Amino acid sequence: MNTRSSVEIIKEQDIVAARKLGRNKAKELGFGTVDQARITTAISELARNIYLYAGKGNIQIQQITEGDLKGLLIIASDEGEGILDVRKVLDDGYTTSGGLGAGLPGVKRLMDDFKIDTVIGEGTKISATKWLR
Amino acid sequence: MNISVELFEKNMNVKGIIKGEIDAFTAPVLRENLLDISLKENILIELDLTDVSYMDSTGLGVFVGIYKSVNALNGQLKLTGLSSRLKRLFDITGLVEIMDIQTREEVMIDETV
Amino acid sequence: MPQEFKRQYKEILEQYTLRQTEQNLYKGQNFSKQLIQKNISPEEVISIHKASLEELIPTLPKDALHSFDFLIEVMIRYGLALEEHKALIQIQENFKMEMELAANVQKTLLKTKIPNLDGLDIGMISVPAKEMNGDYAYFLSDETSIGIAVADVIGKGIPAALCMSMIKYGMDSLNGAKTDPITVLDVINRIVEKSVTDSMFISMFYGRYDTLRSEFTHASAGHEPPLFYCAKQKKFTELQAKGLLLGVIPNVKYEQHSIVLEEGDFIVMMTDGVTECRSNDGFIEQKKVMEIIERVKKETAQEMVEHVFHELEILQDFELRDDFTLVILKKEG
Repeated sequence: MNTRSSVEIIKEQDIVAARKLGRNKAKELGFGTVDQARITTAISELARNIYLYAGKGNIQIQQITEGDLKGLLIIASDEGEGILDVRKVLDDGYTTSGGLGAGLPGVKRLMDDFKIDTVIGEGTKISATKWLR
Repeated sequence: MNISVELFEKNMNVKGIIKGEIDAFTAPVLRENLLDISLKENILIELDLTDVSYMDSTGLGVFVGIYKSVNALNGQLKLTGLSSRLKRLFDITGLVEIMDIQTREEVMIDETV
Repeated sequence: MPQEFKRQYKEILEQYTLRQTEQNLYKGQNFSKQLIQKNISPEEVISIHKASLEELIPTLPKDALHSFDFLIEVMIRYGLALEEHKALIQIQENFKMEMELAANVQKTLLKTKIPNLDGLDIGMISVPAKEMNGDYAYFLSDETSIGIAVADVIGKGIPAALCMSMIKYGMDSLNGAKTDPITVLDVINRIVEKSVTDSMFISMFYGRYDTLRSEFTHASAGHEPPLFYCAKQKKFTELQAKGLLLGVIPNVKYEQHSIVLEEGDFIVMMTDGVTECRSNDGFIEQKKVMEIIERVKKETAQEMVEHVFHELEILQDFELRDDFTLVILKKEG
């Protein structure tokens, strides 16, 4: 079983490719339709952020296990400007009211675990996991 | 709850016409508009309040704000066309002593001369 | 328990597919209450619907079933929007609680005691338009004199309320109730001028009453003039005193005047929440306020202020637009 693969995000069409990869992996692991839709929405958001703000980056999708738990880990990384105020982008009403869609708070809600590593001027790495229950 | 502000800038002088009601809701709008004026040393700002039908203490705050910044630049703030009700606010608050204020009646006399 | 919900949902749905009655629709609607309570998201509801349908109608065309997967995808964002909405409501509730706490702290911090001196009757009421009060009344006193400050910070809410502590600490730094009103205003103006932003200011009235001479000495920093009621002439006059608002410029010349009170005379000190009351038919004129006060002049000062507040509340349809503060000082027989 191929447990790890990634998609380069440069053009808008790449977002669809990342979604497709994510959906296949999620299905393979046994996620239901609703969770598949949640995972792909999260991937969409992350890929879109890369496409719109960093210009270039990649989405890595990985099946992981922790004890008896199986899960899907999504890692979105870019070499963009980095996020100046992480707390602010995770604030409800900040990203959505600006018309950016669900934004990072949305991703955080759709997934179970969520982590941001960002360095100003170097880039951002966001990891999000959904566990199979 | 409506207010309109028109500004005309000419060299050192700025003329403005304010119309409507100045209260807690419209005062921030008025302040935003007046912040557009680029303040210079010795500036003269003249604001026509003939068509201001109501003003409360929040509105007064806006004028105190401009007065302070204009005064710091040795400029002048002149308010014209005040109704007797508005004039009373400037009288009570003592602002009439430090600002150049003309009521409607005074403006009319000026025009007939 | 999604499984349990699924079973119930399927049952209600089945009844409806068999008989399209209002009764069955009503059941469905009531069921949605439970779903909302248990935090079942819109996309999950569709998923339950799809699964129920598959079992109820095994012959349902494949493309019809696919359309539900499409709908689930579409509904994900509605679910997110709902979650966000809930989170924001929670934040709002927290804010409200903090505001109430802050309002209580303010009350304790700015608490004042109405002095009790022979021959003098004092009444006071101060009601905020919102949680926090931008009006302030404060008393100083010794055996033979009292000082009364009535102040109004421009604007309402938290910033106005925070400003008030400045007045309190300014007053407490004075040399007691015998200080000249012009000195009081001068001291507080210097404190305020240094501390407030450009478009902020405070209006303040200060009066001192000397019980030995029955003399009221007053000064004003741009405050609404108090009303003086002369019992002998049955007439109100404004107590005028020129003086600029606090916090505009550092050096201000204030004026100070005195009057002597006779038995039954009283002084009404207020903020512009009293004089700037707006009813549906326009402003409530000062004359109206005077009429209301005169009608109850025989009552105690406290009954008087409460009556005036109540009457003006009715005239404004119980919608307080500005903080409201009224103090009455009456010379008893």
